[in-house]
Amino acid sequence: MIVCAALVVPPTSTVFAPQELAHKRVALDYGNGTAYAGLQMLEAAMPRDAVTSCAGATSPAERFAGLMRGDFDATVLQEPWITVAEKAGCRLVSTTFFHGTWVATRDVSVEAYAALLRAITRAVRHINADKRGYVSYFIRDWSGHPEVEALKPQDFNLGRIQLKEPGPIPEDEARWAWDWMASWGLIAGAFDVTTQINRTVEREAHELAAVVRAG
Amino acid sequence: MAMTMTIERVMAFMGLDVLVARDEGLFEAEGLDLRIAALPPDEIRSAAEGTPSKPATNQGKLQARGAAQMFQA
Repeated sequence: MIVCAALVVPPTSTVFAPQELAHKRVALDYGNGTAYAGLQMLEAAMPRDAVTSCAGATSPAERFAGLMRGDFDATVLQEPWITVAEKAGCRLVSTTFFHGTWVATRDVSVEAYAALLRAITRAVRHINADKRGYVSYFIRDWSGHPEVEALKPQDFNLGRIQLKEPGPIPEDEARWAWDWMASWGLIAGAFDVTTQINRTVEREAHELAAVVRAG
Repeated sequence: MAMTMTIERVMAFMGLDVLVARDEGLFEAEGLDLRIAALPPDEIRSAAEGTPSKPATNQGKLQARGAAQMFQA
């Protein structure tokens, strides 16, 4: 799954472009992919020492509420809260996408992983054939939140919902992600592909799953 | 006999494909009994408690104690 993350400012903000967030407080859900996506969007627009983040809640509902209260200048959101924020008049000053990556224990078998890959591949095809028909899943996740429950399928920007059939992890991308996290002090040590990716299980599982891709 | 696998909870924004595969019986069709486990509410910490270098993340907690085999980062 490809995750979309957006840097969002409230309707009254004077910020229209990401570089205008320099030295402004941006709430990030540290430890989550959306936070790292937020950091990457910020550092693409300003020197690192101008990036000013603060700890945001894990829940995007809470980060959105904090944004609207004025607790901070901006935050990073994912769907369906990007859509909620837009409906509330907030502006997206930057959006990005990143890959969700599975972390597995050593006891995951080739056969089970291949079965998972085949099922997910079929699901990706089903969703891509009718994205609008599946956006209800984003609403279902947030039952009890009136802002989300008020959304209609047509409110969603389908360009922000991207799915890709699963494939092996490219070593250069894994290395880049590791080195980038290390550069922020989020991880220590040198990247070693042999300890991070079990290429034998990965290759054999993808070969077993390939019959679906050919079909 | 079906294979079993337990993964940590996913949400649509990062696991729509998994949720659809589950609901449409696609794992079952592949002979995989996929179970989705969630942390007990009292164990969930907010990222607001963390710092950039010491985040209060919930990802991987079930895997770390052997209650799940995979999670999505």
